[in-house]
Amino acid sequence: MAEEMVVKPDIEFIKRIQSAGGESLKKCFQCATCSVVCNLSPDSRPFPRKEMIWASWGLKDQLVRDPDIWLCHFCGDCTAYCPRGAKPGEVLGAVRQVAIEHYSTPTFLAEMVNDPKYLLFLIAFPLILIGAAIHYFGNFSPEGPVVYSKMLKPWPYVDFIFLGAAAYAVAVFAKGVMAYWQDLNVNPWKVRLKENVWLAVAEVVKDILFHNRFRKCTTYFNRSTSHLLVFLGFVGLFIVTAWASSYEWIFHKESPYAITDPIKWLAIPSAISLLWGIWLVIRDRQNPPENAGPGSYFDWLLIWVIAAVAVTGALCLVLRWMGLATLAYPTYYLHLVSVFFLFFYAPYTKMAHMVYRATAMIYAKLAERE
Amino acid sequence: MTPNDRKILVIGGGMSGLTTALEAAESGAQVVIVERSPYLGGRVTQLNKYFPKLCPPTCGLEINFRRIKTNPDITFYTQAEVTQISGQEGNFDVTIKVKPRYVNDNCVACNKCAEVCPVERVNDFNYGLDKNKAAYLPFDMAFPLKYVIDDSVCLGSACAKCVEACTYNAIDLAMQPQTINVKVGAIALAGGWDLYDATKIDNLGFGTVKNVISNMQMERLASPNGPTEGRILRPSDGQEPKTVAFVQCAGSRDENHLPYCSYICCMASLKQVTYLREQDPEAKASIFYIDIRSPGRYEKFYWKVRDDENVQLIRGKVAKVTQEPGTDKVIVEAEDTVTGDKVRQTFDLVVLALGMVPATKAMKLPLNISYTEDGFVIPASLPPGVYAVGSLKSPLDVAKSVQEGTGAAIKCLQSLGGR
Repeated sequence: MAEEMVVKPDIEFIKRIQSAGGESLKKCFQCATCSVVCNLSPDSRPFPRKEMIWASWGLKDQLVRDPDIWLCHFCGDCTAYCPRGAKPGEVLGAVRQVAIEHYSTPTFLAEMVNDPKYLLFLIAFPLILIGAAIHYFGNFSPEGPVVYSKMLKPWPYVDFIFLGAAAYAVAVFAKGVMAYWQDLNVNPWKVRLKENVWLAVAEVVKDILFHNRFRKCTTYFNRSTSHLLVFLGFVGLFIVTAWASSYEWIFHKESPYAITDPIKWLAIPSAISLLWGIWLVIRDRQNPPENAGPGSYFDWLLIWVIAAVAVTGALCLVLRWMGLATLAYPTYYLHLVSVFFLFFYAPYTKMAHMVYRATAMIYAKLAERE
Repeated sequence: MTPNDRKILVIGGGMSGLTTALEAAESGAQVVIVERSPYLGGRVTQLNKYFPKLCPPTCGLEINFRRIKTNPDITFYTQAEVTQISGQEGNFDVTIKVKPRYVNDNCVACNKCAEVCPVERVNDFNYGLDKNKAAYLPFDMAFPLKYVIDDSVCLGSACAKCVEACTYNAIDLAMQPQTINVKVGAIALAGGWDLYDATKIDNLGFGTVKNVISNMQMERLASPNGPTEGRILRPSDGQEPKTVAFVQCAGSRDENHLPYCSYICCMASLKQVTYLREQDPEAKASIFYIDIRSPGRYEKFYWKVRDDENVQLIRGKVAKVTQEPGTDKVIVEAEDTVTGDKVRQTFDLVVLALGMVPATKAMKLPLNISYTEDGFVIPASLPPGVYAVGSLKSPLDVAKSVQEGTGAAIKCLQSLGGR
């Protein structure tokens, strides 16, 4: 790094990183133990040592566009071996949070998501929206056996609300990713999008499906297992949702579906995977390895939202089987609210990592940065 | 004024303790030295050369030993430990436990006992690089020049081959531990240091990767009275190393190990580079460092080594040490923070620059005093009439130990005189 550069520290950014879990950032004395003990770090310009000094200097622009912050899976090996307790793993987590905020629109929503004092306000939005839909177009306590579509009809109400939320999230993500790619694809690893893009995408998809990179972690190896369970749960439930849509729109098959229906053979294992995975996440984070912290508000917000989705979803099924209508319908309402929260705020919460990390991983493949 | 008022106890017979004892005794005080090992001279005896003048240890120690021999005011106990201290400034009651040496003053160091001794022990003086016999002389210039029998491995009277072989009646396998009580007016604590246990650093390969040695083992290899008679040879096959890596801050300045800097390890590695380069003009050395600490006038020595074209300085801490598959070579990994790229280099020998642990980390003194988390004595917590010297307070070099020893002698004398 011989080129001359004028450092313009962004003091606010440094404070942000410190408050978002990287409070020990300034303890770093640049010994580079972290870059070497990291099993994911490439040989050429490895991370996270350089990120630590950039963060220390407040070089926000350089950090948010840095693909390496996403190549980090927070294995914790750097944090475990850091001689100064500077916690590079936590610092990079905090930088990712800032990067998500940086590439999301509108920024104030991202700021609200990162601030616990707005949490009730954020929950209130889907609570009122879905509550109003049920109030005006559905029924809070339908008669007869528990059939959730009696509470609010899938078409047009549920579909409209949720496809709307998803479309909004996709649009915000699209804008963010395009801006990110623009910032990302510069020297020293500028790549041209040619025929090998799809090959790179396929390889990244494979890496993600099997968590190939995540499973190279040593200190937090357990984290890769719980994350994989949550991830596979979501993949399964995504397929289930698409499947259910085909029942609704193409085959006009009414829910609820019988336990003998193949859709349930995927839905139930996926739900169990999600529940089990998120339970492991919560349990492991409560007993972090030595040197590591329990995680930030940003981490926990997503964990609790996913837990809420999983628990209310599973309860809906159980309560329906038990025929407890007075509990089943409110639970379904809460399930809709938590799913909406997950979808609608995805570009601002830690959920956004899936989009930016995948982008960075594809870029790294194309740039042969491994 | 009682005779006790003129007596000083010095715990530790290394460079700090010897200096304190000699300066005090030569100023008219009576001194008792209590040393844990079977010889005086401490860690300096294990060095090949020591700063600032790069003398061999005998150079400085021999004169001290002669001063002790000719001074009737100094009494010393080796293989001894202070087990109890009571009383206060001017009137301390001290209990000393002396372990049996099994060899008396008749010993002329003829080596007959070692020749017939059937039992081997790990040679702790050489940091485990070789073995010696259960009946042994710690090293050729040991003072007192008397053999020792290691009772942790000796077969005792059932064997007694040494007793038969000794023509001077110097061996007494029935020798018992002794308890000695002395009354002193002042006490100097000079317990010294131990080398950090490198096996605790799981990513630097010590004990698991062949040809990864400690800096003190390097001193023993380079030392003419060491296991290789002064030739630096790698332990696995006795080959002369052509490439040697020096890993600085191995466990030092690291809150997982020793959070402090041990002051002299950078200079020790630079010095060891000169051992290597003097032995083999073709040998190459690489020093991996966070920052080279060459305090005060040592800076010039650093420049000299830095300017050697066969010496490479890489700014980045080594965080991974592994065996090259199928060979006895060692792969060292670091990030060169100047270029920003990872370096993965293969070496014949890797030397870990390990830090100092105060002796009081493992063994607390029989005094009601406070220690830092790392085991260093906190001087402010010492009662009147008790003074700490040298590496018991913080890591330092020999020159500073000598200065501190002189200072402690003055303090002890003032304490005695003030009564």
